[in-house]
Amino acid sequence: MTATSPASTTTENSQVGRSIPGAYAHEVVSGRLEYVTDRRLPGMLHGAVTRSAVPHGRIAGIDTTVAAKMAGVRCVLVGADVPFNLLGPTEADGPVLADEQVRQVGEAIALVAAVDAGTARRAADAIVVDVEPLPVVGDAHAALAPDAPRLHDGGNVAGRIGFASGDVERALSDADTVVERVVSTPAQEHVAIEPPGGVALWEAGQVTIWCGSQNPGLHRRKVARALGIGLEDVRLVSGPVGGAFGARNDDPMPVFLALLARAAGAPVHLRMSREEVMVAGPKRHPFHTSVRIGFGRDGRIAASDMTAIADTGPYVTSGPNVLKTSAEMSVGPYRVPVARFDGQVVYTNNANAGAFRGYGVPQVAFALETAIDQAAAELGIDPVDLRLRNVLRGGDRHGLYGHPVTPGLRVAETLTAAATDDWWVTRAEWRRRARPPWRRGTGIALAIKGVGLGSGRGDAARARLIVSVDGRVRIWAGPNHTGQAIDVAYRQIAADVLGVDPGRIDVVVDDTQLVPESGATAASRSMYAGGSAVAAVCRRLLEALEDVGASDLALGAGRLVSEGRAEFEATFTLPDVADPGMIDPERLGNYAPHRVYGCSAQVVRLEVNELTGEIRVAGVVCAVDCGRAINPGAVVGQAEGGVAQGLGLALMEEYRLVDGRPVTQSLENYLIPTIRDVPPIRTRLVGGDEPTGPMGAKGMAEVVIVPTGPAVAAAVADAVGVRSDRLPITPERLLTALRAQERGPQ
Amino acid sequence: MKVNGVPVDPPDAAARLIDYLRDDLGLIGAKEGCGMGECGSCTVLMNGSPVCSCLVLVGQVGDGEVTTVEGVASGATGRAVQEAFVRRQAVQCGFCVAGMVVSASALVAEHPAPTDEQMRAGLEGNLCRCTGYGAIARAVREATR
Repeated sequence: MTATSPASTTTENSQVGRSIPGAYAHEVVSGRLEYVTDRRLPGMLHGAVTRSAVPHGRIAGIDTTVAAKMAGVRCVLVGADVPFNLLGPTEADGPVLADEQVRQVGEAIALVAAVDAGTARRAADAIVVDVEPLPVVGDAHAALAPDAPRLHDGGNVAGRIGFASGDVERALSDADTVVERVVSTPAQEHVAIEPPGGVALWEAGQVTIWCGSQNPGLHRRKVARALGIGLEDVRLVSGPVGGAFGARNDDPMPVFLALLARAAGAPVHLRMSREEVMVAGPKRHPFHTSVRIGFGRDGRIAASDMTAIADTGPYVTSGPNVLKTSAEMSVGPYRVPVARFDGQVVYTNNANAGAFRGYGVPQVAFALETAIDQAAAELGIDPVDLRLRNVLRGGDRHGLYGHPVTPGLRVAETLTAAATDDWWVTRAEWRRRARPPWRRGTGIALAIKGVGLGSGRGDAARARLIVSVDGRVRIWAGPNHTGQAIDVAYRQIAADVLGVDPGRIDVVVDDTQLVPESGATAASRSMYAGGSAVAAVCRRLLEALEDVGASDLALGAGRLVSEGRAEFEATFTLPDVADPGMIDPERLGNYAPHRVYGCSAQVVRLEVNELTGEIRVAGVVCAVDCGRAINPGAVVGQAEGGVAQGLGLALMEEYRLVDGRPVTQSLENYLIPTIRDVPPIRTRLVGGDEPTGPMGAKGMAEVVIVPTGPAVAAAVADAVGVRSDRLPITPERLLTALRAQERGPQ
Repeated sequence: MKVNGVPVDPPDAAARLIDYLRDDLGLIGAKEGCGMGECGSCTVLMNGSPVCSCLVLVGQVGDGEVTTVEGVASGATGRAVQEAFVRRQAVQCGFCVAGMVVSASALVAEHPAPTDEQMRAGLEGNLCRCTGYGAIARAVREATR
């Protein structure tokens, strides 16, 4: 690893810029930390879920008689027992427990609580569900056919977003060179190592739920709505939790836990098996994406046109918002005079798709970046040079919407940081040294990804601070921690703003009883939004100290407490774009353009076995612009983790179904990278501040997964001349392409 | 059998070792991530060798010795591995880490200066979805210095 720290104005005592381990790291390595699914309460029962075995059907009857009479069973719940039987405000959000129709394998139908987990499982399996099968929509294209079976009364289109900044057809016909790509990317499973679950406890009409969540406010609303109780009667403790990556944004588990514990009159523990997560958990949206890019003779982009179809499965969780991000990033980090995007999210009987790190960007970036790589080859221009002729500079206008981007954008610098690495510079020599049957290649790719929910969405984070008489500071802030050590970063920021020892500061992020609503640990927003709210609340305290004439916290704390001024709150609202460009200002939130973007450029060097199609990745350079790195070691960890997930998406991960029936149902046949599959990764932090961010920081944990796939594809093309149009690039697919290449054009 | 050096008398030879450790003994360090020996989060040492405790029945241990992550720190090697994991920021969500620390301790005990290939062979049975394994490899290197 090579980590270059950004130029820093930090002083000897400052905490920002130091690499500091996670808050519970010692408890973790000694095995003492109690995760939400480790929690045990006196008198606790165990739950289990009855799930659909068929992808589509009408429920004719649910017979719970045998299950309910089994010894040790305390309660059985079906849809009719749920006061408001939807996971969101509308039918499109899907039922808590299906009672009329099932639309995917694994959909929840009934819940059981019993004295032990084995009894609960047997009872759940003893529930007889009578289903009349309906025709299955097994593919996004099939869903759009005029005679396709309809999953919902309104048809199979769950959302559509289109935008054009001018006459694209004309601009493309005027272009000197047009490159066209038609690609597809798979459903990817998050495989957070802790399966979803936790414990719920009712006391005095209020429920406390210990369950992983990366959106505690949303989960409280889901629970309150489904159970018909007040929001203030729901407390969610969302950690410690074992990973998220988007999977814990829409997880119904908190609703199941609250329902079961209320009906059983006892605390209930419920935990999904790995097979349940694989089949019923959310996935990255699989996309079919087509792109055409026109270039002038000078290599400048003249126009771009993209269409995308995303398979969201049977219900809407994040689909239309995912597509919104795809639309914005359909032009990547490039200046594009005329651009068009047309995307649809469609319902199928496949796995429900939701949020996954990158949120619609890896899919469109695979089309766009591989098209740029192909264009570089066709135009005879170096792929770095071609990109540098077209990249957005800080303050430029966005390629599709025309809004100005932050002056803190460093795309050219990030690309240059990757391209000056030895692994890119020496690629020709490295390629020559290949030994048969292995052939060698090197690829490069580039991406940006917005920070926060985007303009017009009222995106905000909040922080609360109480100072005690001895000068100790407690801060409650969100977004919460699902592995990023975000609480440690909040403390680093607070220590520097307040100028106090971090040991005098406690930070709590994972309890809705105390943490003010701060939105999701998502959209690369935690550091930027939460860190800004923490800095703001600390400044409130400094102002109060100044009011009472105290020069520091130790001297002024007692005074603030006695005057009743020891408690502070602050809200940070993410800045909207300075002007909406070509977007109708009334519809800003429909497109949600970003002002601030994180950036990553990556170099992949790899070897291809010509006889077998096997790919061995030899190394990845990951340059990343995160503004100021608050906790550089944590940033490197996010970069390496993102690249590893990107390699999984590029080379091995694909959640497969046939006619709506899952094929890859466990970690035996859905493989994720092991230590053997991840090569050395050189992370390069690009220096510079984001002017609107806390201490100059911005988000980066999503953008690092985006360039990996297209950089792998570019390296494969460099090695063997095959331009892959489908991820993952498995040995079978690559070998098929190599054989076709040998046979020549048909 | 002995668990972390203490003689114990398990009531049910047919129970899975992971359930006995977690539910009867309260040793929650071993985590269940898949229940079929694929993820390695439940790794413990049986007579010094790493095994997935979800695949072992209590009766199979016989009068052998089981060492969990909670017991790993009683040796200098285990302590060094744990400290290196903290220092090198190899803990993100941490759910795989207990199993990873057990496997890494066994690796370092067998190969005090492991080659890259020995490290890969020793840790390839432990899945981590957060770190990309870089910080973990750096921690193991540091622990062997």
